[in-house]
Amino acid sequence: VSDAGFTVSSLDEIGHSGARNEWIPIRRHLDIRAFGVNAWTGDDGANLIGDHNETPTGHEELYVVIAGSARFTVAGDEFDAPTGTIVFVRDPDAQRGAQATADGTTILTAGAKPGEAFEVNPWEQNSEIFPLFEQGEYAEAKRRLEVALAEYPGNANFLYNLACAEAQLGEHEAALEHLAAAVEGNPSFAEYAQEDEDLSSIREHPAFPVAPAHA
Amino acid sequence: MTAAYDVVSWDDLERFPVDDEGLTWRPVRRHFDIRAFGANAYSADEAGGRVVEEHSESQNHHEELYVVARGRATFSVADEEVDAPVGTLVFVRPGTRRGAVAAEPNTLVLALGGRVGHAFEPSGWEIPFAAYGYRRNGEPERGRRVLEEAVERDPAVWQAHYHLACFDALEGRRDSALERLAHAIELEPEAARWAAEDSDFDAVRDDPRFPTPES
Repeated sequence: VSDAGFTVSSLDEIGHSGARNEWIPIRRHLDIRAFGVNAWTGDDGANLIGDHNETPTGHEELYVVIAGSARFTVAGDEFDAPTGTIVFVRDPDAQRGAQATADGTTILTAGAKPGEAFEVNPWEQNSEIFPLFEQGEYAEAKRRLEVALAEYPGNANFLYNLACAEAQLGEHEAALEHLAAAVEGNPSFAEYAQEDEDLSSIREHPAFPVAPAHA
Repeated sequence: MTAAYDVVSWDDLERFPVDDEGLTWRPVRRHFDIRAFGANAYSADEAGGRVVEEHSESQNHHEELYVVARGRATFSVADEEVDAPVGTLVFVRPGTRRGAVAAEPNTLVLALGGRVGHAFEPSGWEIPFAAYGYRRNGEPERGRRVLEEAVERDPAVWQAHYHLACFDALEGRRDSALERLAHAIELEPEAARWAAEDSDFDAVRDDPRFPTPES
């Protein structure tokens, strides 16, 4: 980042995050604080915009097909979106997703919530954790999650993933403690934990959370 | 009922000529009525045409991200020159001087913006840009309607009265021009200083009722 009041980069330079093959973390790379902005890139068939809604964030979202072409599904409607297509989803509850229909497709996304100052969403950091798990780099995952929790104290997603890393590292007491805190923040993690292989080493412990149906 | 989403191609966005340097505003935010962040495109048909006007965001204090979506541009940022092919991202913090011209025909630059720590509000410049854009496109009545609607929404905004006075002066409506200008100055005395240097008022400047900054 330049001290001169500006930064120049490119979609290619930022490149793939490594976390998810298709994510180009523009906001994070440039440390933009006023609005959310990312890009997603991939070849024919790649699921660039995963099926989701913005109900939790309340965001309006803008999608711009910068290169290639995609097939969007928004609020149950399907349509083709060649280069130059701009899709604006104003209803946060509207389900939306997009798949690349040509190699080298790139979709730029921008979002924020009307009437509120933009705040960085923790999912960006969380997304960088998954490849570390896939590579077995649990200590590094733990380190990054602790940094993330310092910035977002009590975030249930980070706590859950921290528990997983600690369980893999054999730090069972810490894992159980953080798992309990994650479930307290988001009770659905109790059910998720029942099948999560990262937690196998502590699943038989009496303090392991009970699935909601059996609670 | 407002649709959950809308779709447009950047080729189908309205074209509002902004200046004599070829800058053409392609209003994205205004097209969709985006309320959460600023979004616009600027295009130039010919190399050498302006695609980002010289400015510093010293009034709006917006962080701005420019994305070269088509063609190629040459940015001037904080006195540095930047070659910007497709895919280039130029992120500029408020207070930093920036501008860009097309380096190739058919260049299009997307601009996203917002103010850190503040809920987004649409910039006031969009209204006169649209009004004068329609006027330059040979649709002065449509431009006038944009300004009249702005007055209806908020009669206390002096700029809309001021620009309606400009339209009146340009169209030979002397009395109406002077009345509207007087009203704009009632709302914002600084408007007299702007009017003194505004060529739109040349046709009525000799009128004894024309205000002077001193009066």
